[in-house]
Amino acid sequence: MYYVGVDIGGTFTDCVLVDQQGNHRTAKVLSTRDDPVAGVVAGLSRLAETAGVDLPTLLQRTERLGHGTTIGTNAVLERRGARVGLVATAGHGDALAMMRGAGRVAGRSIEGVFSVHGSRLPAPLIVPGAVVEVQERIDASGEVVVELDTGAAVERIDRMIAECRLDSIAIALLWSFANPAHEKALAAAITGVFVSPSSEVSPRLGEYERTVATVLNSYVGPASSRYLRELETRLATPLLVMQSNGGVLPASSATPLGTIDSGPAGGLIGVATLAGAYGHDHVAATDMGGTSFDVGLVVGGKPVLAEENVIDQYTYRLPRLDVRSVAAGGGSIAWVDEATGGLRVGPASAGSDPGPACYGRGGLEPTVTDADVVLGLVRAHTFLDGRMPLDRDAAVAAVGRLAGRLRLTVEETAAGILRINNLHAATVIRQQTLERGVDPRDFVLYAYGGAGPVHAFGYAAESGVREVVIPLGNGASTLSAYGIASGDVVLYHELERSLLAPFDGAALATAVAEVRDAALAELAATGVTGEPRVEIDALMRYREQLMHRLEIPVSPPADGAALLAAFDGEYQRRYGEGGTALFEAVEVFALRARVSVPAGIPIARPAPAAPAEPEQSDVYWPGRGWTRTDVYRGAPGGTVTGPALVELPHTTVAVPHGASLAAGPLGELRLEEF
Amino acid sequence: MTTWDGVQRGYIPGETLRIPDTLKLHTGASDVDPVTFEVIRYSLMNTNLEHGQTIQRLAVSPVTMITRDFQPSILTESGDLVFLGPYLQYFSNAQALTIKWILENRGEDPGIEPGDMFVSNDPYVGTPHQPDTIVAAPVFVGDRLFCWVANVLHHADVGGTVMGSFCVDATDIFSDPPAFPPFKLVSRGEVRQDLEQMFLRQSRVPTNVHMDMRAAISANRMAVGRIVALADRYGADAVKAVMNRVLDAGERTVAERLSKIPDGRWSHRLYAEAAHTGDTGVYTYQVTVRKEGEHLFVDNAGTDPQTGSINVTYAGFSGAFLAALTASLTAELAGAYGGVYRRVHFEPVPGTLSCADFPAAVSPSGIYTMETLISLSSAAIGKMLACAEPEVAALAIGPAHPVFYGFIAGGAHPTGEPFVATNADNMIGSLAASPAGDGVDFGGHFWIPEGTASNVEELELLWPMLLLYRRALAGGAAGAGRFRGGRGFVEAGIPWTVPGLAAALYVDESFPKAVGPFGGNPGGAGHFRLKHGADVVARLARGEVPQDFDAIAGAEAEVEAKGPMLMMGADAVWEWTGANAPGFGDPLARDPDQVAADVAAGALPAGAAERVYGVVPGAGATRTQRAERLAARLAGAVPPAAAPATVPADVPLRVLAGELAVVEREGHPEAFATVTGRAVLAPAGGNFKDGCAVLERPLRTVDPEFAAREGRAGSLMRYREYLCPVTGLRVDSDIVIGGAGA
Repeated sequence: MYYVGVDIGGTFTDCVLVDQQGNHRTAKVLSTRDDPVAGVVAGLSRLAETAGVDLPTLLQRTERLGHGTTIGTNAVLERRGARVGLVATAGHGDALAMMRGAGRVAGRSIEGVFSVHGSRLPAPLIVPGAVVEVQERIDASGEVVVELDTGAAVERIDRMIAECRLDSIAIALLWSFANPAHEKALAAAITGVFVSPSSEVSPRLGEYERTVATVLNSYVGPASSRYLRELETRLATPLLVMQSNGGVLPASSATPLGTIDSGPAGGLIGVATLAGAYGHDHVAATDMGGTSFDVGLVVGGKPVLAEENVIDQYTYRLPRLDVRSVAAGGGSIAWVDEATGGLRVGPASAGSDPGPACYGRGGLEPTVTDADVVLGLVRAHTFLDGRMPLDRDAAVAAVGRLAGRLRLTVEETAAGILRINNLHAATVIRQQTLERGVDPRDFVLYAYGGAGPVHAFGYAAESGVREVVIPLGNGASTLSAYGIASGDVVLYHELERSLLAPFDGAALATAVAEVRDAALAELAATGVTGEPRVEIDALMRYREQLMHRLEIPVSPPADGAALLAAFDGEYQRRYGEGGTALFEAVEVFALRARVSVPAGIPIARPAPAAPAEPEQSDVYWPGRGWTRTDVYRGAPGGTVTGPALVELPHTTVAVPHGASLAAGPLGELRLEEF
Repeated sequence: MTTWDGVQRGYIPGETLRIPDTLKLHTGASDVDPVTFEVIRYSLMNTNLEHGQTIQRLAVSPVTMITRDFQPSILTESGDLVFLGPYLQYFSNAQALTIKWILENRGEDPGIEPGDMFVSNDPYVGTPHQPDTIVAAPVFVGDRLFCWVANVLHHADVGGTVMGSFCVDATDIFSDPPAFPPFKLVSRGEVRQDLEQMFLRQSRVPTNVHMDMRAAISANRMAVGRIVALADRYGADAVKAVMNRVLDAGERTVAERLSKIPDGRWSHRLYAEAAHTGDTGVYTYQVTVRKEGEHLFVDNAGTDPQTGSINVTYAGFSGAFLAALTASLTAELAGAYGGVYRRVHFEPVPGTLSCADFPAAVSPSGIYTMETLISLSSAAIGKMLACAEPEVAALAIGPAHPVFYGFIAGGAHPTGEPFVATNADNMIGSLAASPAGDGVDFGGHFWIPEGTASNVEELELLWPMLLLYRRALAGGAAGAGRFRGGRGFVEAGIPWTVPGLAAALYVDESFPKAVGPFGGNPGGAGHFRLKHGADVVARLARGEVPQDFDAIAGAEAEVEAKGPMLMMGADAVWEWTGANAPGFGDPLARDPDQVAADVAAGALPAGAAERVYGVVPGAGATRTQRAERLAARLAGAVPPAAAPATVPADVPLRVLAGELAVVEREGHPEAFATVTGRAVLAPAGGNFKDGCAVLERPLRTVDPEFAAREGRAGSLMRYREYLCPVTGLRVDSDIVIGGAGA
């Protein structure tokens, strides 16, 4: 029986197959943007070839077929989604357009936030003018203030659907998360189009973000559902779809919104799965590619969640893996800031076209990868296993031009580029950890992505992390597909419920039971079988601290006193004694249940590689200068002592002076003492 | 003699600070290579950003955590700004002034030591108004004062006669909230309970202020720790060298921009109505920017003498100007503005509304005078930039709203617990039109980039009110122009689950204050309306949420600018507005297709297309309609003294902005002329308005949107259009104070 994961990316579709012994095979084909189904089929066929079977046999033997799709993300970014109309409470239909006055800057870089020049609101997600405000009102306590006349409302909605030629409706009424009756009534009565009620999509306080979530769901819903149905029919196999929260769900139950920005989740889940097997509790999962550096955390064995996401300046709330991105990748361009004379790296990127100067595709500006080539950390003739020879002279010329202006040597400049790029990466790691009151020194850093393992020693040291792991021993770009294959079925259910300390035990117990039961019912509705695991977090803050939350685990039977003590402890840990301010009541403002059914993917125990004889190459190690360095082609047997390079098919692992690299029992590479 | 000492008059530090010898400052600096420079710069910038994020998470007042009415900073040992965050920008120099004052006045007694933090909300020292409270923390490396970390937070209530501490009825500072000169709240790491209690005791919502004060302390502590760690790792001298270079770079950037602007003087004038509750007067603020070489000189001559509650001190005046300047001219420095300030020299006239002496009241300035001065400054800067070389001229951003439209209600929750509800929904905002194009609808405000309005649900969760609607303001005459200003919002509500509320602060203007640059229409006036005995609750019970304020039954109150607290019973309903931002250029010059697009998008009522823009259906009809209007303008206008000469068709014009151009001879400006009509207006050194036809009429007759009730200030204001004497197109316009019966 196989576990299969298929990850559609911008350029490549990656497929991974894991057999019962945990051995994995991969296949990579070009993505087919216009016909994504064909791309998946092509990828799976290639995968079947590598397994020595035909596609029907592969599918027949596949127990879990996981799939990560970018249909939703692309539909938003390219504005190719459905024609959506919005149904809102009377008087509040403009909330989406007004964007709380923050739409001009939401999600932009710090420089973009400061710069008013040319800043604009994003293009609308709904058909302009397609808003019906219905006469109804619910207040903050969930009481109905104005009853909904469903018939009259639906008549107007139907008229809008016809006039604006809509294929999708988003219903987002005020306070619907406190009382969903009106949304449910409307959702049941609107027919013939795709309908999303906000109380199901994102049942959280804040009508703007809830409306965005609901509109996005309706915007990507029709295409996303159509695609998944088509794919399932074509493969005649049930699909499990990757969600941005890191879990998979049967295609029929997956929320379209959950697929948006689910790309980075796969990698982090792959890491979480492997970390469990490798015995690591606290992990910083780092993916450095061509244009960006993504970081997610596993704390106490659990991937860390974020509440909010911003896509194209639209902010919405949905529990999702907190994978943060900074423009620090192999393609990041180095430049001189004229005003300060300082060396800057990024945020502009040469991407893959034209790419770094050393790609020889017309790029002239020096990038991080060019710096790697100048220093010899990446060897021109063995890049990507020799499949893509690089132009070292072009890299030296590009970095050299910069060096001339900085009055540094070419090597100093190249080393400087890496140092600054590493600082950008390390800053995100430090922020993510320290913000949660955890110390980066307690973390193991997992490095993957094409530019990850070569820079990991640098950004790990800069962030205070002491051990680096190259997962699966290859740091492969298919880790995301692996995560999709290995992901548990996960479902979150949230319930806004205000409880003030000292907590009334009965009320707390009722709320905990309510959110648990609702989550289990939702899981049952998906048809997924297996023993579910339920974890409940109370979302807590000091009352009125609307921009803050701490997630405190709570398990039935809930103990109010223990919960309060746990909150106090966590608050102090994060903000110190000065931040602890017991002047205001502590509040549980929401409960979140996570139900999961483990995938239980087997982990391979590969045979150790045979010791290999290294080649020799000159490498300029930052702080050390040019050094004759051992270079291993492929994973080495035994322990490698730095300075050394280990060249893998998709990446290079740099082992600096004094550091050691060795394969662990499960085939992962462990870099220590750097 | 009165000096700028921060006691009798707003504090202005001298060229060198008088710091006691016992306080050892770190002034070293070492050579830093370009790589290490960037590593340290990036770390410092991020420390300041994290400082801001920490405040946002830990604070409880919506005005802090959502509105982002706060500001973290890093400053040098002597209080020069290194990094400012993307929050409220008019705090640009509040922290610098306060820290310099502390260095000069607190260095010996009680002394400045590691682990200390000083608190001040004294406007004569450095803050714009009393709710904006500064917490400043010295950072020591060894026994030397290395640098400072500081923040300003707007607290929900710090006392005074009016809930929320905007005391519009104050006639001097003794009715304002108390102003505390810098005192040491945290001594060697320990919070002084006695002083903390003293500060909290002034507030109507002490719990709230307590939480926010601890958030400020906590966030400062985090930032101090980061900087000490940075100095440990790279050496204090290296870190200081980076700070100095960041300052130098800012200075070089602004100098380079200024070198592309001709020397000259540019002035602008704005008005306030009502100096205090019960007053109906109109008061004038003026800012003049003089550019000489690579320096700017800024004065407020022409501003009325200080009076009532509409004053600010030097801190407010300079902070407002610097906020407007950096946003337009050097935004890419992303908060590293200290070096820019070195090239700005203030020449303030004391005893005025914009540079008041003790004991003038200043507490309402957070929504009135500060915004007036930002708008005024941005307008004057915009005029200056119009004369610059194209790449610098393109940096003009249009004037800010002249008032921050806000609403503060107070009362008690059903539990009896009192509250002050500061509603800053005007963070929805709108950006003015600029030479680059239309303003941004709901675009916020450039002077508080991260500012965010609350969700309606957040407001209803926190306070007992039900909001009937919050929607976009219609476009129309307000904000019209060749490029139109962004649209704002309007919202209405009723007390909910309580017998009533009090409206402590509201803004009702009888006329718009900010004209659009180069002939653009003024933006909208902010309005607050109130009806008693309304039928809203009955209509809700009948299944209808009222959506039209005019159609709500009830007795409408006669609201005044800066009026008294208004009691609102359970049967009251209120409506208040933000404003559409000013336009740019003559509305009759707007592309008719853009007018049609606005109508189609629901951004402009169909009727306004003809009324405001002269756009009518039918081939050629718009051209005819507009020609008639322009002719009518000229027929009603006073022509220039001499019949205009015209610029020959073969002489090129350099467009400055809108209809205004210069004729150049051998690269030197010779005369002002109009673009379309090619009329010569004045010699290059003269006043272009001298050559314009001038049409002046009561502002309230310009469009029904500018109507003003008899007896209110707006009924006296006049609108003056400076027209091209050939075409009748507006070159510029002014709002001026008229006489009785105007």
